[in-house]
Amino acid sequence: MMENAIAWILIFPLFGSVACAILGMTNRKICYPIAVLSLACALWAGIETLNQLIASEEHTVAYLLGGWTLDAYPRGVGIELHADILGILITLVVLGVGLIVSVYSKLPVQEETPGKEPLFYTLFLLQVTGLAGICLTGDAFNLYVLIEVAALTGYGLIAMGSNRAAAATFNYVMLGTIGASFYLLGVGYLYIKTGTLNMVGIHDVIEANGLADSATMQVAFVLIGMGILIKMAFFPFHAWLPNAYCNAPTATSSLLAPLVTKVMIYVMIRMVLSVFGVEFSFESTMWTDVVPWLVVVAIVCAAVMALAQREIKRMLSYLIVAEVGYMVGGVWIYNYYGFIGSIFHVISDACMTLCLFLGAGLILRKAKTTHFDGLRGLFSKMPLTMTGFFIGGFSIIGLPPTCGFFSKWYLITGGMVSERWEYMVVLMFSTMVMVVLFFRLIERIHLAVTESGQNLGHGHGDLGLTEEQTRFDEGPLSMLIPLLVSASVVLIVGIYNQDIVSLIEIFLDEFNLPRGEGH
Amino acid sequence: MKKISLIPVLLVGALLVYAAQDFPEWGSPNSPASQSPVSSHFIANTGVDTEVPNMVTAVLADYRGFDTMFETVVVFIAGMAVLAILKNSSKKKAGSKEFEVDVEPDLIVTNTVRLLIPVIQIFAFYVLAHGHVSPGGGFQGGVVMGASFILIALSWDLDTALARFPADRCTLVAGLGIVLYAGIGLLSMFLGGEFLDYAELAQIFPVSREMARYHAMLGVEIGVGLTVTAIMFSLYANLSTEGRLKGGL
Repeated sequence: MMENAIAWILIFPLFGSVACAILGMTNRKICYPIAVLSLACALWAGIETLNQLIASEEHTVAYLLGGWTLDAYPRGVGIELHADILGILITLVVLGVGLIVSVYSKLPVQEETPGKEPLFYTLFLLQVTGLAGICLTGDAFNLYVLIEVAALTGYGLIAMGSNRAAAATFNYVMLGTIGASFYLLGVGYLYIKTGTLNMVGIHDVIEANGLADSATMQVAFVLIGMGILIKMAFFPFHAWLPNAYCNAPTATSSLLAPLVTKVMIYVMIRMVLSVFGVEFSFESTMWTDVVPWLVVVAIVCAAVMALAQREIKRMLSYLIVAEVGYMVGGVWIYNYYGFIGSIFHVISDACMTLCLFLGAGLILRKAKTTHFDGLRGLFSKMPLTMTGFFIGGFSIIGLPPTCGFFSKWYLITGGMVSERWEYMVVLMFSTMVMVVLFFRLIERIHLAVTESGQNLGHGHGDLGLTEEQTRFDEGPLSMLIPLLVSASVVLIVGIYNQDIVSLIEIFLDEFNLPRGEGH
Repeated sequence: MKKISLIPVLLVGALLVYAAQDFPEWGSPNSPASQSPVSSHFIANTGVDTEVPNMVTAVLADYRGFDTMFETVVVFIAGMAVLAILKNSSKKKAGSKEFEVDVEPDLIVTNTVRLLIPVIQIFAFYVLAHGHVSPGGGFQGGVVMGASFILIALSWDLDTALARFPADRCTLVAGLGIVLYAGIGLLSMFLGGEFLDYAELAQIFPVSREMARYHAMLGVEIGVGLTVTAIMFSLYANLSTEGRLKGGL
């Protein structure tokens, strides 16, 4: 049992989803416990795998599916699950977020998509399976298959939302398909030149045959890179994201917003470091010169667009686009600390986006709107929800001791060591924008001043609302507890950042990344 | 706008042409893909490892069986997503037109189809079961099988087809297909191997380790076939009636 823990991570939610589809036909109520239970088991298997991985000498767990073991067969004959520290950390994030959202989803799913619980949880669990599989697989084509699993379930989950969700999903389908096709084409080129699909195998052939200057490999790199950038909603390919996440059901956007873009960042890091290798990615391509400037444009545009929004969910969607820019920049400034920052930011951004979207879901449920004008007096009405929501917001801004502070710290250090001043300046600029965004929200919630400066209340502390409207009225516990858990995760990851960073350092030490002078 | 969209098309085209300059010779035995230990192993040892004459089936269902399992899951997801989007959607739209079919099924068409259906379905089983030695397998067999139900729906009406293959049973069969596939993988794991290591099934069936792989491949192909059959028909039934499952084309 134990030695197969890595396979159990995928088996539990896979069987859970089929169980939801079949058993849900007779008893709809059974789907929710199945979803929570299978994700809890998967999380346990994930933690077990992490323990095995730390105990092992090379800090990797390689699992050859189908028994095509490396001692008897050449590498690449079968498919390999290959977990290293990076992969398992992101897997744990995926499973943790999945578990928290599945607990949270009970009421929103019943209310927003009545009668469709079995279908929702079937797709929900397969989404988690796909995302976790992406983080664990060691095979470039298997990665594509799992991207398809994650993408298709995502389309279904989003399209279950409001009436406008169908149109938003259609845009997403188009862009998502283009991105996946680019990736697949790139993998095809990789196979032409290397003759294997195994990631370790591809890397070995690139090193052994000196393929860095090959035109085909260069094009493969561009195609895979472009495909992943489209999939992760990097500006200007972000157009599908805000509409899709705003119109999706609450539980869907809470699951997809923290995970999908972040997992694609993981794929980019995996491709750059493990498949193509540091030398190929940074020395023989021009991406290190070009991409940080694209990142500057991306962050500025996304931050400005976030400022223009008057609706919480839409504002958060643009924040995700800006955060994607942070992480892409952290990779392409080509620096040890940038990589630590990027990887740590994948983890912390998932936690804080989860926190914000769970909070937004509760606000939407209680206030029936997420427009800024409907927020007045919410703090006295639901203090716990708003506290959780604000912790997420403080983390996005980057206030210590939340996790957002530490990841941003490493990103800025990376920019400084690489002397990419444009990246540092834009990080500062975007931090300022986030401060404005969230303190404007806090002001809306605590004061009675409208957009035009008109004061609805009478003097200090008066919200201009009746007693009825500000009475303590928290959301249901099944939604509130996941929010508070995710808020405390934001704080815990921040406080114990050194433990996570030291794991990331073990992973990065085997790649010879520049650390700047004096190191 | 149309002219602007030409620019990325031309750019990608130019990129592909640029990539082609470095390709190995067409069909060359010296190309990396032919030289690599992976394809040499498939060519030399498929028969030794699995007893399956058709190399493609062995790669698909055994060597890379994990991919195929998730491809089956993708088909399953497609069906579930269409259900999730279309189910109950017509109730919201008041006054949408009902396409009720009053026309009697045509005598010539129905009698021809009556003759054809058994042939099609037996052929579907043949394609599925013969995947080991000839082109075919679960996906192809499943599509042929699903098409036979669609043919019933086209020549009589959807109700006739649904009476033979109800919508609920589609979901059930599709799910069971995946359970069969992943279940064979899980069983081999309980017997001490890795997930999907069919050779371990030799412990409970009176066959050699190679023949265990051979037969387990048929098992997973049947799983694929079940899922594909059910989802093909479910997709047709839901898409042609906007999820109402009555009336139709």
